[in-house]
Amino acid sequence: MENPENLYPVDEELQKFIDYRKRSGTIWRGVFLMSLFVAILVLIVLMLNIINDAFGLVALENEVDPHSLVTGYQENTMVSMPNTFASTNHAALAAVIQQNETGIGFVGHAHYQTNADDLRLIAVDGQFPTAETVADGSYPFARPLYIYTALDTLQSEPAVAGYFRFYLENANNSGGELGYFLADETLMADQINLIDTLAGGPQALDSLGGNLALSGSSSLYPLSRQMLLDFRQAGFGGDISIEQIGSEAGIEAFCRGDIQVLNASRPMTVAEAATCQRNRVNPVEIAVGLDALAIVSHPSLDFLESVSLKEMGQIFAAMNYWDEIDPSYPVEPIVRAVPGEGSGSLELLSGSMFSTIGLENLSGAAYAEIIRENLGRGRGRALERDQRFLAEGFIFDSQTAFNGACASAEPPTGCAQPARDRDNLLDLIEQEIIVPQIQQTWPLYDSIFNRQAIVAEASRKYPDAIVEFKSWLNPDFLVNPQSSEAELAGVRTAIWGTVMVVATTFLFSFPVGVGAAIYLEEYADSTKWYNKIIQTNISNLAGVPSIIYGMLGLTVFVRLLLPLTSGEMFGRVAEGTDPSGRTVISAGLTLGLLILPIIIINAQEALRAVPNSMRRAGMGLGATKWQTTWSHVLPAALPGILTGTILAMSRAVGETAPLIVVGASTVIRTDPTFFSRFTVLPIQIFQWTSRPQPEFQNLAAAAIIVLLLILLTLNASAVILRNRYSTSS
Amino acid sequence: MINSPVHDIDLTEDVALSLRKKTKWHETLIQGALVACGILSVFTTIGIVVILLNESISFFTREVFEITNKSIATDIGPADTTFETTASGSTLVVGQIVRVDDELMEVLAVDGLSLTVERGIQGTEVSFHTADEEIEKSVRVPFREVFTGSRWQPRLQQFGMWPLILSTLMISVISMIVALPLGLASAIYLSEYASNRTRSIVKPILEVLAGIPTVVYGYFALTFMTPFLERAFFGDNIQVFNTLSAGIVVGVLIIPLVSSMSEDALHAVPQSLRNASYGLGATKLETALRVVLPAALSGVTAAFVVAISRAIGETMVVAVAAGAGPRNFEWSQVFTNYGETPLNPLQSAETMTGHIVRISGGDLSYNSIDYNSIFAIGLVLFLITLTLNIISRRIVERFREVYD
Amino acid sequence: MSDSNDSTNIAVQAKDVSVYYGDFRAVKNINLDVARNKITAFIGPSGCGKSTLLRAFNRMNDLIPISRMDGEIVYRGKNLYDADVDPVEVRRRIGMVFQKPNPFPKSIYENIAWGARINGYKGNMDELVEESLRSAAIWDEVKDKLDQSGLSLSGGQQQRLCIARTVAVKPEIILMDEPCSALDPIATLKIEELMRQLQEQYTIIIVTHNMQQAARSSDYTAFLNMDTTDRSGYMVEFSETSAMFTNPQNQQTEEYITGRFG
Ligand SMILES: Nc1ncnc2c1ncn2[C@@H]1O[C@H](COP(=O)(O)OP(=O)(O)O)[C@@H](O)[C@H]1O
Ligand SMILES: [Mg+2]
Repeated sequence: MENPENLYPVDEELQKFIDYRKRSGTIWRGVFLMSLFVAILVLIVLMLNIINDAFGLVALENEVDPHSLVTGYQENTMVSMPNTFASTNHAALAAVIQQNETGIGFVGHAHYQTNADDLRLIAVDGQFPTAETVADGSYPFARPLYIYTALDTLQSEPAVAGYFRFYLENANNSGGELGYFLADETLMADQINLIDTLAGGPQALDSLGGNLALSGSSSLYPLSRQMLLDFRQAGFGGDISIEQIGSEAGIEAFCRGDIQVLNASRPMTVAEAATCQRNRVNPVEIAVGLDALAIVSHPSLDFLESVSLKEMGQIFAAMNYWDEIDPSYPVEPIVRAVPGEGSGSLELLSGSMFSTIGLENLSGAAYAEIIRENLGRGRGRALERDQRFLAEGFIFDSQTAFNGACASAEPPTGCAQPARDRDNLLDLIEQEIIVPQIQQTWPLYDSIFNRQAIVAEASRKYPDAIVEFKSWLNPDFLVNPQSSEAELAGVRTAIWGTVMVVATTFLFSFPVGVGAAIYLEEYADSTKWYNKIIQTNISNLAGVPSIIYGMLGLTVFVRLLLPLTSGEMFGRVAEGTDPSGRTVISAGLTLGLLILPIIIINAQEALRAVPNSMRRAGMGLGATKWQTTWSHVLPAALPGILTGTILAMSRAVGETAPLIVVGASTVIRTDPTFFSRFTVLPIQIFQWTSRPQPEFQNLAAAAIIVLLLILLTLNASAVILRNRYSTSS
Repeated sequence: MINSPVHDIDLTEDVALSLRKKTKWHETLIQGALVACGILSVFTTIGIVVILLNESISFFTREVFEITNKSIATDIGPADTTFETTASGSTLVVGQIVRVDDELMEVLAVDGLSLTVERGIQGTEVSFHTADEEIEKSVRVPFREVFTGSRWQPRLQQFGMWPLILSTLMISVISMIVALPLGLASAIYLSEYASNRTRSIVKPILEVLAGIPTVVYGYFALTFMTPFLERAFFGDNIQVFNTLSAGIVVGVLIIPLVSSMSEDALHAVPQSLRNASYGLGATKLETALRVVLPAALSGVTAAFVVAISRAIGETMVVAVAAGAGPRNFEWSQVFTNYGETPLNPLQSAETMTGHIVRISGGDLSYNSIDYNSIFAIGLVLFLITLTLNIISRRIVERFREVYD
Repeated sequence: MSDSNDSTNIAVQAKDVSVYYGDFRAVKNINLDVARNKITAFIGPSGCGKSTLLRAFNRMNDLIPISRMDGEIVYRGKNLYDADVDPVEVRRRIGMVFQKPNPFPKSIYENIAWGARINGYKGNMDELVEESLRSAAIWDEVKDKLDQSGLSLSGGQQQRLCIARTVAVKPEIILMDEPCSALDPIATLKIEELMRQLQEQYTIIIVTHNMQQAARSSDYTAFLNMDTTDRSGYMVEFSETSAMFTNPQNQQTEEYITGRFG
């Protein structure tokens, strides 16, 4: 070997070689780092994914609008107040107010106009009904009026197009006289143009063929009728007819194709329009004017100039004497005249007067009333027997029938319980009357960044639904039991199950595990074959799949030890039912066996860490082995043992498979006892995850957060314990 | 016993007694209790083995009756021991137990279509049978079929465990493809490159990952991984339940295990070896991959083996995300049309653990074939994982000897 | 490379070298010329910074995250601590043998071949292995068991294997940190003999705890001691070994080499 240097790269070649090695070093370092990042990234994505599912928008469709329950209740209250006259006949209302010095009430604006001399108009929040205040909405008791026809009708029947055009040109002439508020002139002109484009230009009235048949709202009846009469006056030769069946019924019939021209005191809802479309009725909507309700009093009631909506609520639905509203008012009874029950006017009134009152603001008595009005009789009676609605008396049941039921062999639960409280009644209204149904859910990310699109989509797909932000993790979720309704489901039973199972696990595995560890560390001669077997065996057990433990638990605890685990031995099995071993005890013991190796191994480590000097010190004082262990070694090792045990417990909290095998996976609605069937959080998560409906995935996500928080608490306490221990020693 | 007087103290009876070795019964009792605690773990193992074996034996020795498509040709009364059968269906052999209605008979002789039997065996009631009543024959669960068959439907007398085994292997392989490289690479980074600060941040994160319950990973597989794979790679080709997504997530779940065990092994390699390598002019990468890693190979291998065992025993992720129902197949498909076998990672398939969970999740009757069958599966599972764990510990023990 | 006659005889030069571990200065202000193809020994009491100084010569201290260095190590006219110098290449040129024998857990053959391979050796590997083992005076003992693990050898053999491994990558300078401290006297003698042979081709710096070893086998000796106030090591005396051991210039040196402290 003459020149060994040459056998290694030199100069430029060396530089290249080193560069190459350095470059590959950098690349690989990056690869290693990336791998590490994958793990971290997964953790982040996992957490984000859960949070994304646990919060977000939902489209919630109530069977009954909660606010309509409030207004319905208030309407009832209004018409059933003392000294109150209710009628659909506005002339009669006006007459009552005129005749009572302390009278106050509502009449259609048209009626006020005809009796303007005998009635005193009162402002609402300082606003009188005028063309402006009604048009811009600052006067609350006003609503637009519409006429409808189908597009086909408009195009094929010249009489309809002619009538519409006539209506739009003349409504503002006659409407004012009739007490209506006039529609905006340009709007009217635009609508005339619309008719022209849809149905062609105007034609001579006497040449129009066909007849006209109107139906629908009674509020619009006077105007439409006047228009019909004027139309005939102006030369229309066909037959005319008009009916008043109310807006609601009118729209329904119109969408079936049964009505030629519809009068309506409110616009069609999106859902109604959709029904029309499905029936090939293509509605053309024309606004013709506005209707207002005037609040009027007897002329002598001069202390009232203007009232607020809140005061109106007091006047019409709460107080009986004027001075209760304001001490400066006279001590006179309030005499009221309000539109009759079921009329659109009353609906309009209560809708605006009580718009700020939510269902949750009402009293318990109001809830009972709402339940009486809205719940079916059979269902109501069943619920009343479960637990009474009222402390005194009954809503659906009768005293005698109830007493009879209570005297029977199997008395209903309601006999022994106090009546439902306000919260209970409210829950009941939610579950039985409002019945919220989740139509669709959206994840958090979309809810934040695509809110507009979601709201649009929801209003198209579920016109009656409310889109609201929902945290699936909420107090109700924690305290509600399991339910098949996603909206009502909670994890209380699962949390209880977890707590009780883990408590059982702890009570079993902690003493046994620590005992085994003490034996192995303090007593056993580790060179003896049998002790070696125990030690090897423990490490082998730690590697056995958890599901195998489930099968062990199923055979030993659920079947073999049935009398013990079902509680039969302790008289805990109800007469006539089969004892079942699928109980909290069985589950706890199964998990106990599962985590025993972990506890033993950790406790052994903790014991091993205790310096031998402590043992010698104890023995040197003449203590026995057990005394030394108990009073010197164990206390020193305890923090370590506890830390290990807590970590083992958190393993038990998350275990799922063995408990499914032991038989936990059933729907449990009542809180478990040690000898009852049960469910636990992870199993709840498993069940919800396995359901196809997306809202259950949201529930699963919320339950996962609860589970992870429990685990976090456990682990944090282990860390604190470990730190305190290591700083003190 | 000490009995020589010390100094001038009178040796009274009392002192002598107090120095005598006493049987401290409560010490003995306590020690006995501690021994019992230690032995409980041995009983646990024995319990597992006995139970799995016992139920598996019930599985293999259980009588199931299979339809023969053969029926009685003429009415037979309680006294008739020879009767004609229809020509169709499978042939019966002497010694076979057959069942007609609820009555069991043993075939004593077969002569063409005529059958001579012993009536009412095993305590069943001898009764009258009309023509056209079905003859069922008793079959045992064929031991061979269990380990060779490719269809698992115990209620339909199909006992091939391979659909379950194959999908278990499939999940394991996929998860190992994910977990081993990522886990090992993370371990190398943590052990050889990372600063103490990085290590003190990253290791708790890995511990958190390891502490998350597996059912949460199942949720992750179903609600994130599958939609992600669908959108990013496979579109409609991937089913909602599939082994790929379950396998990947099982892999992710195992990363902390692989990484922490491997890191321990890498860390145990003495610093002097690294110094030697650097002293020769090796780069960090060359040192890590070609000196440290080979030196820690047995520890790393042990980590891998434990990881495989863990993947095979993993339950909740596959129960949630891999699908329900064994993917039965024909062996010939493995070569011709593997897409229809459990080897297709884009389709649903049920693993051993997934099957046990699903079967036992319903209300299971203790005498059913299903009940026995899950213990047979459990036994196979137990044996596989036990073997892997023993192998792994052997490897670790050997590896300790090298450096101590 | 400088043309000056003086510097051709200098293999490597320490200029005002101080090494810190965090805030602690382990050695301070060392100035030292290491002669080419000579053996230079560092002696001094335990903890005075001999190993630290030695490691400074091939940037092994870089591997200790908290360490930092001031001053220059000049090799072939270049400061090894310049930003553009690659420590990997430095260590190839300036090899190291450690206190405790640390063969790789690979075969004897691989122990030698590995370093050569990563450094891009292009020649015949078998020849290189044989040549390196011969020059470490261990060939005869291991030639029949080249595929056995390096760990199967005795301590002295392992250390010679480590020397062979270092020699195989053809360094110019070999640093030895108490290479014999873990060995028995016979193995120690063998290594000392070996150093004398290697001296023909290589410059050797050896840290030793053993005065006789320094006296027997080195050409130059540097005596380091610990400053009593700040506990950092400094160089008390540096001269030809024969001169130092017969006629120490410094009181401390004399006390140390006559065994009165340390
Ligand atoms: N890696 C290190 N980290 C911190 N301090 C170190 C390290 N190595 C050595 N030291 C300190 O530097 C001083 C010199 O150590 P060293 O060079 O090993 O001395 P010697 O080799 O002369 O016995 C000692 O005080 C030692 O504690
Ligand atoms: Mg040293």
